[in-house]
Amino acid sequence: MSARGRWWQRSIGGRIIVLFLGLLLAVQVASFMALRASLAEHAHRVLPEKLRAGERLLQNLLDRRAQTLLHGARLLAADYGFREAVSSNDAETIVSVLANHGARIGATEVALLATDFSLRATTTSEARHLIPLAERLATQSAASGQASVITLRAGRPYQAVLVPVRAPLVVGWVLMDFPLDGQLLADMQRLAALDLTLVARASAAEPWAVSLSSLDGTRAASLASQPWLDDSDEAAMSTVAARGEELGVRMRTLSVGGEADGGGVRALVSLSVDEAVRLPRDLQLALIGITLLGIVVFALGSVVTARRVTTPLRGLADAAERLGRGDYRTPMLGLQRHDEIGELSQSFERMRINIAGNQAQILKLAYWDSLTGLPNRARFREAVNEAIAEAAPSGSVAIVMLDLNRFKHVNDVLGYRIGDLLLVQVAERLNRQLVREGDLVARLSGDEFGVLLRAGDPELALSVARRIEQSFHAPLALEEHNVDMGAAIGIACWPQHADDGDALLNRAEVAMYAAKSRHSGPLMYDPSVDVASAQMLTLITELRQAVEHDELRLYLQPKLALESGLVAGAEALVRWQHPQRGLVPPAEFIPFAEQSGFIHALTLWVFEEAARQWRQLSDEGIELVLSVNLSTRDLLDQELPQKFEAVLARRRVPARGFCLEITESAMMDDPQRALVTLDRLSAIGFKLSIDDFGTGYSSLAYLKRLPVDELKIDQSFVRNMQTDADDAVIVRSTIDLAHNLGITVVAEGVENVQVWNMLRELQCDMAQGFYMGRPMPVDEFLEWSAAAAALRVTRAGDSAVLH
Amino acid sequence: MPRCLSALATALALAAASCGVQAASVGVFVSDPSGKPLHGAVVMLEPATGKLPVAPLAGVRIAQVKRQFAPQVSVVTVGTPVSFPNDDTVRHHVYSFSPVKTFELKLYAGVPNTPVVFDKPGIAVLGCNIHDQMVAWVVVVDTPHFARSAASGRARIEGVPAGNYQLRVWHPGLAEGSPPTSSAVSVGSADLELRAALDIVGPGR
Repeated sequence: MSARGRWWQRSIGGRIIVLFLGLLLAVQVASFMALRASLAEHAHRVLPEKLRAGERLLQNLLDRRAQTLLHGARLLAADYGFREAVSSNDAETIVSVLANHGARIGATEVALLATDFSLRATTTSEARHLIPLAERLATQSAASGQASVITLRAGRPYQAVLVPVRAPLVVGWVLMDFPLDGQLLADMQRLAALDLTLVARASAAEPWAVSLSSLDGTRAASLASQPWLDDSDEAAMSTVAARGEELGVRMRTLSVGGEADGGGVRALVSLSVDEAVRLPRDLQLALIGITLLGIVVFALGSVVTARRVTTPLRGLADAAERLGRGDYRTPMLGLQRHDEIGELSQSFERMRINIAGNQAQILKLAYWDSLTGLPNRARFREAVNEAIAEAAPSGSVAIVMLDLNRFKHVNDVLGYRIGDLLLVQVAERLNRQLVREGDLVARLSGDEFGVLLRAGDPELALSVARRIEQSFHAPLALEEHNVDMGAAIGIACWPQHADDGDALLNRAEVAMYAAKSRHSGPLMYDPSVDVASAQMLTLITELRQAVEHDELRLYLQPKLALESGLVAGAEALVRWQHPQRGLVPPAEFIPFAEQSGFIHALTLWVFEEAARQWRQLSDEGIELVLSVNLSTRDLLDQELPQKFEAVLARRRVPARGFCLEITESAMMDDPQRALVTLDRLSAIGFKLSIDDFGTGYSSLAYLKRLPVDELKIDQSFVRNMQTDADDAVIVRSTIDLAHNLGITVVAEGVENVQVWNMLRELQCDMAQGFYMGRPMPVDEFLEWSAAAAALRVTRAGDSAVLH
Repeated sequence: MPRCLSALATALALAAASCGVQAASVGVFVSDPSGKPLHGAVVMLEPATGKLPVAPLAGVRIAQVKRQFAPQVSVVTVGTPVSFPNDDTVRHHVYSFSPVKTFELKLYAGVPNTPVVFDKPGIAVLGCNIHDQMVAWVVVVDTPHFARSAASGRARIEGVPAGNYQLRVWHPGLAEGSPPTSSAVSVGSADLELRAALDIVGPGR
C-alpha cells in the first residue's frame, strides 16, 4: 500500500462504492458458492439413489426384454403346427418353423431341445455352445418351467430364454437367444438419462472388455479398467475418473457366466458427477445477469449515497477552509438536514458563531483600548501602515503623537481612578479635534496618544497639533478636581520623515520626546532631535571629542540684585566651540545630550568648570553664586551628590558658592527620587533653585517640602508682564508667595528697563535677562562685571542698568 | 428308474399258483416309494402269452368342464369310442399327438358328431390347443382285467382265471411318456394280494 493510499482510500465516496460493490460481490460469490455446494451435496445425495434406480430400471428393462423373448418363444412353442411337427419328429419342418419364428422376433439363434435338453434341432450350425447354455437354462427352468439368462458369446452379451413345448405334456424345449443391443442403451438414456456400459470377460484371467456402451469409446474403456464397488453394497456409488471426467458408477452382475472361474457380464450404470454438479447454463446466465444488474444498481445507489455524504462534507470542508482564512460571515450549508451531517453542520455553525464572537473579542482586546474605547498601539500601527499603503506612491500621511505631561503625578496625587477619568476625557477631547473622515485617535500606551491623519501633509499636521495643544488650555474637570493638563506633541510625516509605518511612528515619538524635553509646543520631526539619526550619531561622537579636545566653553549670564543693581551671581551655561561649525547653539546639542545620557558628563563638566572659575573669581576677590542647571537625568542619578562633593573638595570651593537649578518638570518625572537627591544636595550646602517656575504643576504643598532657596519665574510671564495684567498678577503672586515661604525670587527674561522697574516695585530679589547681560565667556563676563560695578558706583541709586 | 414288484408280491403270487383253474380275485396296493397310497393308478393284468378277448366299452365320455378334462384319466378297452362333450361355454380344440391315437377335434362347442375310437392299446395324452393347462390321459387296454386304485391305494380285479400274467401299473404321476410298469404274476385259485410301488415324479393330473 502506498503512503498516499489507494484512490478509494482517499475519498469517502470511493470507499462507499468499493464497500457496496465488494459486499455485493461477496454476497453473490457466497450465494454462488452455496448454490454450488448445495448442488454438489444434493447431487452426491441423489446420485447413488439415481444410480440405484437406474440399476433397477436396467433390471426391469432386461426383464421386459426377457418377457418379450419368452413371449415370442412361447408363441413358437405353442404353435400347433410346430407341436405337431415336434410330435411327429418332422425335422425339416421343425427347423423351418424355428427359423421363421426366430426371424419374427429377431432372435439370433433358435433351437429345439429334447426333454432331456439334448439338442434336437437348431437354426445355426455353430451350436456347440448351446449345450452348456441349455444346461444352465435347464437348471433354472426346473423351478419355474422357463428361464432367461444373460450369456456371453464371442465377447458379445446375449439374452437367452428357454420355454417348454407342450403337447400338452412337455415334449421338448425351445431355446432362443438375442443380442443385447443399442436399444437397451437408448432406453436407459431415454428413461433414466443414465449411461450404460456392458463389460464382459471369459475368465478372471482376462481384463474386462467393453461389449456395449453409450459412453464414447475411450471413456468406456477407461471405465472398464476401473475397480468398481461390489454390487452387494446397496447404498454405494463408486466414483471413478474416466478421461478427466468424474463418473458415478454402479455395477450389476448380469451373469456369473457358465464359464465360471470369474468370467461373465457386468452392467455398469454410470452418470457424470461433474455434469450433475455443474450449474445449469440458464441458471448461470441468470446469476451472472443478476450480478451485473446488481453491480449497476449498487454502483448507482452507492454513487448517489456517496454524493449525499460527500457533497455536504465537501461543503463543510470549504466552510472550515473559509473559517481558517478568517471569513466568519458565511453561514454553513445543510443546517436543515436532520441526520448526522445536519448535526455536524450545526456544530460547525455554532463553532463559526463562537469563533466569530471570540475573534471579535480578541480583535477588540488586541486592537482596542478598553478604558478609552480607542484603538491601541497595534491597531494604530496597522492603520498607519494601511494609510501609507493607500497614500503610496504620491500621497502623504502624517501622525501626531502626544504624551501627557506629569500624568504620573496626577495618578500619584489624585489616584488611579481620577487618572483613568483623565485619560478618558483626553481621548474625548482628542476625538473632538478630528473633523475629517478616516482620521484616527489611538491610545498608544499609558499616557501616550497618537493621531493619524490620512493624506495629511506637514502643514495640516501642524495645524491639527496646534489645535490639540489649544484644546488642552481648558482644564479637565475630573469630579471635584480641575486639572490643567499639557502634552508634549511630536509630528512626523510620510514620506518626508520615514520610509515606512514603524519608522514613522518612531520619528513621531522622537519628535514628541524632543518636544517634551524642550517644553516646547508641537514639534515636527527633525533629524537633529533624533538620537538615532545619523546626524545625531555623528553628534554624539563629536560631543565626546568636544570634551576630550576641550572644545566646550563656559559662559556666564549675570544675575543682578534688583535692590542694589549689583551682580549677585551668574548662571553657568555651556557653549560648544566646534572647530568647523563654529559656535554650536545649546539647543542643538543639549536636548540630544539629555536624550542620549551624555548630559551627565556635560553637567559634571559644567560644574567642574564653574567650580574652577569660582575658585579663580574668589581668588581675585569676587564672590559670586554660580548657578548650574541640573537635568532630569541628573536628578535621578544617585551618585550625583558624591560626584559634586568630590569636585568641591578638589577645587577647594564651598558648596554655598553654587546654586543648582532644577526645572519643575524635571522633578515631576520621579518626585520621590528627585526629592532624595535634592535633600542630599541641600545637606551638602548647595542652594537649590526651581527653574522655569510657573510652567509646571508644582503644588504649594509640594513646593513646601522641597529644600528650595530660590524660585526663578519663567520668562514667559516676565516677558509679558508689562502688557499682560494676568502675567503681572502671576509674577506678583509668585513673589509674594515665595517671600512668604522665605524663598528668594529671580525673574528671568528681563529685556527692558520697564520690566526691571516693575520687578523692583514688586520687590523681586534678582533679575536675569538680555537687558542686563547675555551669557558671555568668563573673561568677557569679568570685564562686563567690572564695568557694571563701575557704572553702579557712578550712578548709584539710578534705576537704569547697564546694557 | 427300476421298475419291480416287491419280493413279497412275488412270493404271494407263487403261493397262489398251486390253486385250480377257477377264477380268483387279485388285489393290488399301489403306493409311491415311501409307501404312501396312490389314488387313481391304473392296474391291469395281461396274459403272459396269447390274447384275451375284449369288448369295447360303450358310452365313454371325456367332458370338458371348467376348462378341464373330466375325467382326467380314462381307462378304455381297445375299440372303445369316446365322445368329447364340451360342457363349457368356450370352445375347445382337443388333440392328441400320441401314436396310440392321433386325432384333432377342431374348435367346437357341444358334442362332436362322431366319437373318437381308440383302437390301439397304449396311453394317449390329450390336450386342448387353446387351453394349455388342459390334459387328459386315455389308457387303452387290451385285456378285460383292469381296475383303478381307490384313495386307499387299493385296486381289486375280480374273476381272474388262473394263469401267468403280466401285472402292469400306471399312474399319471410317472415320468412323462413312461409306459406302465410290468411284472409277472401267476394267478391260482386263491385270491392274490399284490403290492406295487411306483416311482412317482409328479402329482399326476
